[in-house]
Amino acid sequence: MITESYRITGGNFEQAGSASSSLKERLKKLGVEPQDMRRVMIVAYEAEMNVVIHARKGSMWVTLNDGQINIEVKDEGPGIIDIDKAMTVGYSTAPAAARELGFGAGMGLPYIKRNSDLFKIESTVRRGTRIKSTVYLKLQDLPGPARNSLHVDGELCCECLHCLRACPTKAIRVREGKPQILEHLCIDCAACIAVCESGALSVECPDDFIRPSEDTVLIVPASFLVQFGVGISPGRVLKALNELGFKNVRIMEDWANAVHEAVIRFAEEETKVKPVLSPLCPAVVNLIELRFPSLIENLAPFLFPVQAAQNEFKGQDAVFIASCPGRHTALMPHALPAGGLSSNVKVMSPSGLFKAVLKLTAANGDQSDDPDRLARQTGWKHRQTGWKHRNPETILQASGAVHVANLLEKAENGILDDLHVLELFMCAQGCFGSPLMPEDPFVARHRWLNSGLKHNECAKAVRRKRPYQAREGFRLDADMSRAIMKLSRIDELMRRLPGKDCALCGAPTCGSLAEDIAIGRAKETACVYPGINEDKDKGK
Amino acid sequence: MKLNDIAGKIGASLLQPGKAAEVEIKRVFAGDKMSDLLSEASDTTLLVTNLVNTQLFRIAQIMDVPGICLLNNAAPKPELVNQAAKHGTAIMVSTVGMFETCGHLYQCLYGKAGSES
Repeated sequence: MITESYRITGGNFEQAGSASSSLKERLKKLGVEPQDMRRVMIVAYEAEMNVVIHARKGSMWVTLNDGQINIEVKDEGPGIIDIDKAMTVGYSTAPAAARELGFGAGMGLPYIKRNSDLFKIESTVRRGTRIKSTVYLKLQDLPGPARNSLHVDGELCCECLHCLRACPTKAIRVREGKPQILEHLCIDCAACIAVCESGALSVECPDDFIRPSEDTVLIVPASFLVQFGVGISPGRVLKALNELGFKNVRIMEDWANAVHEAVIRFAEEETKVKPVLSPLCPAVVNLIELRFPSLIENLAPFLFPVQAAQNEFKGQDAVFIASCPGRHTALMPHALPAGGLSSNVKVMSPSGLFKAVLKLTAANGDQSDDPDRLARQTGWKHRQTGWKHRNPETILQASGAVHVANLLEKAENGILDDLHVLELFMCAQGCFGSPLMPEDPFVARHRWLNSGLKHNECAKAVRRKRPYQAREGFRLDADMSRAIMKLSRIDELMRRLPGKDCALCGAPTCGSLAEDIAIGRAKETACVYPGINEDKDKGK
Repeated sequence: MKLNDIAGKIGASLLQPGKAAEVEIKRVFAGDKMSDLLSEASDTTLLVTNLVNTQLFRIAQIMDVPGICLLNNAAPKPELVNQAAKHGTAIMVSTVGMFETCGHLYQCLYGKAGSES
């Protein structure tokens, strides 16, 4: 940990900003990334100017921890009478002298807040003000535009409405002949892709085969290796991948296993919370952040396996097979640890690789499938498989959207605290149930467990630095009184709508249609039932 | 576009050009509020402003701004210009006001889209 402190003199506009510029020189030497530097400098400079403009004197303390910078600016000044007002854009009490220089626009505190990951302000009138700001250096899971990785091809949609009913968070509407995703509700599970008949819904990821270079690492999910039927064992698939030019192939489940072990240790040694929830499936974590915010403290603080893998191959050419939207999103730059997505990480859809492997294995069709020989050829050790459970009775694995939601509800109600660790997956049989993988999940998992390939013990779980954050989800209105009005409008609509949840209007349930109408996203005429629209208004 | 070329095209003079004049400018931000200038500044942004004071040069320095365009033939103190040059910020002085300068800059960076009115 590095601590720096600077003194700030009030009223001295010539010297003002010198603390920030010394800090900048210092941070530059430490190799802080430019985009992080920007945020730190905006916070530091604005806070410093506040002291110069308003106070007699003050000080800035800056500590640099692993992955975050804390800036604390304390002054002896008049204090702030109304902090809420001071935080309002455009509100300023700066004197004329400061305004002449271009200060006093009332933007300082709002800008500080906007550029901080954590922000706190305390003030005592006639004593002084203290601002604490934290900027996370390694961008992890920043809520950003690429929150989900669903790709919608409206042209293909056949309006079968299956996705509407499948979505566990009611995040889809089919309007104007194509599915629309409500991004604030989408949790990046693959339920809609699984039921989509037309191919309109898929993962946002190129199909093209990526040609490997000499030292490209390929990270495949275990499920990929068991997709080729009885005749082509995982060992053969690995060999085919080698022949395609991927000399270094690693299996995603290695990191899943590492996270699994790390979470068990975490549950045994570091926390009293029960049950500890494993961050193995990104969609489950998203669901918790959206629907079960009270369980956020139960989530073990580790990066998703796919991110841990990315972290390990930082700076190397690495190709990931995106087996579900959640993993794809977890690889996006805003979600990644330690310097973000290195430009040499590429993501390929499974189908691109399927074709290549199929072609090759068909060409080599007559070869015998002696596992020992294959293991020798691919450099894979032939060992027992399966996760080592220390206390199998206190770990529960469950999969499938319905069961996940059930268990989370039970956990929220505190009736699962006989369990130490809860490992949940949105897809049936965990990642073997990804809808991008054609083989039946139960068959796939069975084949993998019997394949004789074992986890590579070198894979490591990585601690996450950014806390999990509750997601806002659906809100009727930011303004409370308008929200209440809309709520009564929904009640009124619910009395009139048929309650059959037929989804023909393009919303999954009558309840969702009522919400859509209340916030102006749909019209009452959307409902296909006759007579709904006229009757009851008169009746009242 | 390089700062050099921009200055030539809009008829502004460069004080102490140095290395910064070779920097590629990707965007322009014009304003007179220090907070806005600070939050919009970047290492490829040209700032256009009526302000001429120590603090303006300070934010240019901490945000690695390659160039500042002053307006209406403003004459900054020589020590400020030197200080800016030392930190790699080129100072450009336009002969006209913010509206016209921005019009020229817009044409310069985005071609025909600038308006005549």
